[in-house]
Amino acid sequence: MLIDLQDGELVHGENFSLFAAMSALEIMDPKMDSGIEKSGYNSIEEAIGDGVAPVPLSLDRTVDVQRSIDVMDHLFSCEATWHKGHTLAQTVFTCIYLMRMERISSHAVLNSFCRILRATCNAVISVVSTARTHEEEDLFTMAFGLPLRDEGDEKCLSILNAVEETISRQLRACKAQALSKTKTLQDLESLQDNPDLEEDYCRALLCRLRFRKVLTLFPVQFCSKMVHVLCNVLTIMFQAVRYFEKLLHDLDVICALSLDPVLENVLHFIVQFQKSVPDLVPRAFLQTLLIQDGKLYGQNMFPDVISRALSLPDIIGDKEFQMNEFVVQLGQLVINLLKILCTNTAWQRRKLGKSLQDWSTISIQLELALKREFGETRNVLHHENMCMRVSKQLLIWTQEHAYWVASRFLTLGFELDLYSPGEYCMVYWYMYVVFTKLIEKMQLRVLASSETSRRKGKKKKDHSKDSGRDTAFSSTCLLLQCYVLLSEGLSMMLAVLRNESRSFQLPSIFNTEQEHFDLLQKARVPEHISYYSFKESSSRAGISDLVKYNFFKEIQKIIPSLRGSFASEPEKLAELRRIEQVAEHNRIALNIISQVGPNDPSLRVSFEFTHHPHFAVAVVKRDHDSSLA
Amino acid sequence: MEGPSVPPQAIPVSEDAYCNSSTAPVEAAGSSSPAVAKLRKLLFRRMLIGVNDGRYFLGLFHCIDKQGNIILQDAVEYRSARHSSPPTEQRCLGLILIPAACRSSCQVDCSIEEKMSLLCLE
Repeated sequence: MLIDLQDGELVHGENFSLFAAMSALEIMDPKMDSGIEKSGYNSIEEAIGDGVAPVPLSLDRTVDVQRSIDVMDHLFSCEATWHKGHTLAQTVFTCIYLMRMERISSHAVLNSFCRILRATCNAVISVVSTARTHEEEDLFTMAFGLPLRDEGDEKCLSILNAVEETISRQLRACKAQALSKTKTLQDLESLQDNPDLEEDYCRALLCRLRFRKVLTLFPVQFCSKMVHVLCNVLTIMFQAVRYFEKLLHDLDVICALSLDPVLENVLHFIVQFQKSVPDLVPRAFLQTLLIQDGKLYGQNMFPDVISRALSLPDIIGDKEFQMNEFVVQLGQLVINLLKILCTNTAWQRRKLGKSLQDWSTISIQLELALKREFGETRNVLHHENMCMRVSKQLLIWTQEHAYWVASRFLTLGFELDLYSPGEYCMVYWYMYVVFTKLIEKMQLRVLASSETSRRKGKKKKDHSKDSGRDTAFSSTCLLLQCYVLLSEGLSMMLAVLRNESRSFQLPSIFNTEQEHFDLLQKARVPEHISYYSFKESSSRAGISDLVKYNFFKEIQKIIPSLRGSFASEPEKLAELRRIEQVAEHNRIALNIISQVGPNDPSLRVSFEFTHHPHFAVAVVKRDHDSSLA
Repeated sequence: MEGPSVPPQAIPVSEDAYCNSSTAPVEAAGSSSPAVAKLRKLLFRRMLIGVNDGRYFLGLFHCIDKQGNIILQDAVEYRSARHSSPPTEQRCLGLILIPAACRSSCQVDCSIEEKMSLLCLE
């Protein structure tokens, strides 16, 4: 204790900053100081010399198998911890067997396991660092000079297969022996010395080795059947089981992806996949599967994906279309979009905000180019050439995707808890505008493509296919219509409460509401929308209008017809149920508000996300504390 | 200054010290005893600190508080690894805080004369 100093006094130089000092690494703190020395050994060699990590693990062959299983299970949980974002050095590579692999070359089981584990770590690092799904967690891919690669690692799979083969023969022999009730083992040597434990130990080792194999093969080949088989094996295994179960589930979902080249379906698939909050490793795998060699699934060139989306079968593979600078740029934007959608939600939203600007810039450029080349001759449809039709459709498609990105950007804000109740009114108003625009562009696109097919005088047999597509399209539009109504209804309801009861005002100590609005508007999507248009429409909102245009009741009218068209899609049916519940609760809440009067001082309205992650449900209370809705 | 009722923390800092942190050194806070003056002379010198688990840290003396917690700048960690080559492993850590409780030795880079004068009692 320095008695000459006061409490809280520091002796420091002039360059001292308390803020910087707070980031100092605290030595001997178990969380901050990774070099903390607790084992009492100065080096791996010293530890080995002292008998730590013996080979074989025990001279008793039964104990040796037991301990090998323990080591494997420990390594599995280390691996799961690593996947969760810790360093490789503090997880998997804390195992001396893995650090000095040459020592276990004579121990067939452990050698095969550790070799393939090391190869997997290497493969996973390369998949994740190529896909860059690790975001801020750059610790994940740091290898710190660890012995990740060694000569002969490419043979690890055949070594594992050989060991697996031997053990399964031992297992078969052991079963046969149990059947024939003879005590002599055939020529085969047993795994260990206790015949009562032989069968179980063989099984235990086999399932671990096979699981290891799946984790290794996954980066190389995506195979659903394999994942299924091992899912069953896995449940009997170890602590890390929950993580690996989820990993396998996520991988299974990825395997179920049907290599569908329709972009809308791909986007929908990724959004659905993200709902289960997959970890970085499966997200990296998904991205790797989606984009290989700059092509969708490594098969479809992105310009072709776009021309398919434009319903212009003639230009699939068309060189001129593929080389068009806009198409090249849009292809790149689609690749970026797919990559962004595979990242974690916080990162994703930030990146979507940036990519929104790219989408809107390119749609402005397209529009200008269209005007420049073809003038304002929109009504002279008959003389329209192919080139003009393609340009127009490309423009509509681009705008549609800009709105899709904007809608995802806005809804992710709810998942990330970024909006305060004071902002809900504005956000829902914006969502209402964006969803409306999205429907409009979708309809324009479909209209234009049916125009094209009519012009071509399609053969009769194509008509059934067309009508199937049209119903699918109209139900997508109707679903979006539900979102429009929900957003509009919520926004109006909040505006009424704001106007008539002075609640849900934005606290404007630091930021004004307009500044928040500007954040939504950074990308100039949609055009001609300003803070004043929001202000104006929300200031006019009154309870009588809100009751007259009962948005929530409208939704309840749409839903029954949608239920039929989504009959075969359980996940969409679940979404319908959620929408219906939000609509029902809000309809009742609205009735109560209008009965009591929105300016009644005892009225307390709050909003909760109990039924849908993006659409709130109004909870109405009176001051004498009884919940009314 | 706060009264004695304030419980000591890892780097206890009064509001005064916080406000003046980047500009004024200790004088502002009041202490100007000869011992503190001596200590201040050692700032920015190279300091070698040993800790309980046998590691050493070499860095520039950046800051110390009443409890003896020390902050080193541009610190390097050394650990001996007897049976491997090279015999000591080292890595750069940057800014580190060494709590007084785990410090087992401390040396400052200076001439013999200065060391002697530091040792003498006044």
